[in-house]
Amino acid sequence: MNNWMLIALLTISTYLSRVIGVEIMAGREMNATLRLYFNYVPIAIIAALIANQMLVPTDGGIALSLPVLIGCLATAITLKVIHTFLPSLIIGIAAGLLARYFL
Amino acid sequence: MNNKKQTIKKGVTEALPLAIAIAAYGLSYGVLTTQTSLSLASALAMSLFVFSGSVQMVAVAMLAAGATATSVLIATALLNLRNLLYGAALAEGLSPAPRKWRGLLSFGVSDEAFVLGSARFQKHGPDPLYFGIVATTFYLAWITSSYIGAVIGSQVDPLKWGLDLAFPVTFTAILIPSLRGKPVIATALVAVTITVILQYVTPGNEFTIILAGGLSPLIGLYVSRRTRDNE
Repeated sequence: MNNWMLIALLTISTYLSRVIGVEIMAGREMNATLRLYFNYVPIAIIAALIANQMLVPTDGGIALSLPVLIGCLATAITLKVIHTFLPSLIIGIAAGLLARYFL
Repeated sequence: MNNKKQTIKKGVTEALPLAIAIAAYGLSYGVLTTQTSLSLASALAMSLFVFSGSVQMVAVAMLAAGATATSVLIATALLNLRNLLYGAALAEGLSPAPRKWRGLLSFGVSDEAFVLGSARFQKHGPDPLYFGIVATTFYLAWITSSYIGAVIGSQVDPLKWGLDLAFPVTFTAILIPSLRGKPVIATALVAVTITVILQYVTPGNEFTIILAGGLSPLIGLYVSRRTRDNE
């Protein structure tokens, strides 16, 4: 499947999820458990993606990427301290780059 | 007429701080697309037509990791489930708009628009114009910043500038503010555990993200129920 086809399908599936909510789900009581499940899905996918990117393929296995780990930790700590998105990203990337060149 | 002007002014004023935050995400998204097979035109088209930060970020991250289009579609469908909740909650506030306009307004349903829209509807009742202004402000911020990010990202050496680190670092910055409460933390920890185990057992398995994304919330639900029972 080429990228344009993927974009078309993402457009359709995302728009459908929005319009179905507004036009069809309106006024219906949704199960509280299902509602909670939906809320946790993005957390799970983002956490899985971070873990996936920390593990780099090696010969026949995988290894932990220290630059990625250090970059993520630096971002997390900076965000907790200064609560600002872009500077936290820049500090995280800088920490990861330093780890790459000096470790 | 005066009332309409006031609504437009209110919508733009209240949306602007969040639009700046959205632009920061958009900038990151644009830079990240340069790490994938997406061209500048397709990266921008994704912002124009999909207009969803989480869906676009996850899609480009998975494409960069070599995932197939099918697994990208399944993972993003899981992410889109929460739009059903947002749409259902916003429906009453959008109900005065004619059906064709509601169809257009639905395109603006997102995390941030939901927060502002539902707060406005609770205070002032249904107000499709306000929602439309907020969604348009976010849309303009998103496409402009995506374009700028993609142009900047394509003109620098990714390894030299650490752009390959931008994926995990950006996702960390998105995740950290959400990690509140035991159920959410348990969900994230289990997702990481499932991912690590699956990557060790079957490296490069394209269903890793889908399995972690679909199964971990069940643990979150379990912890949530236990926490509630213990209170």
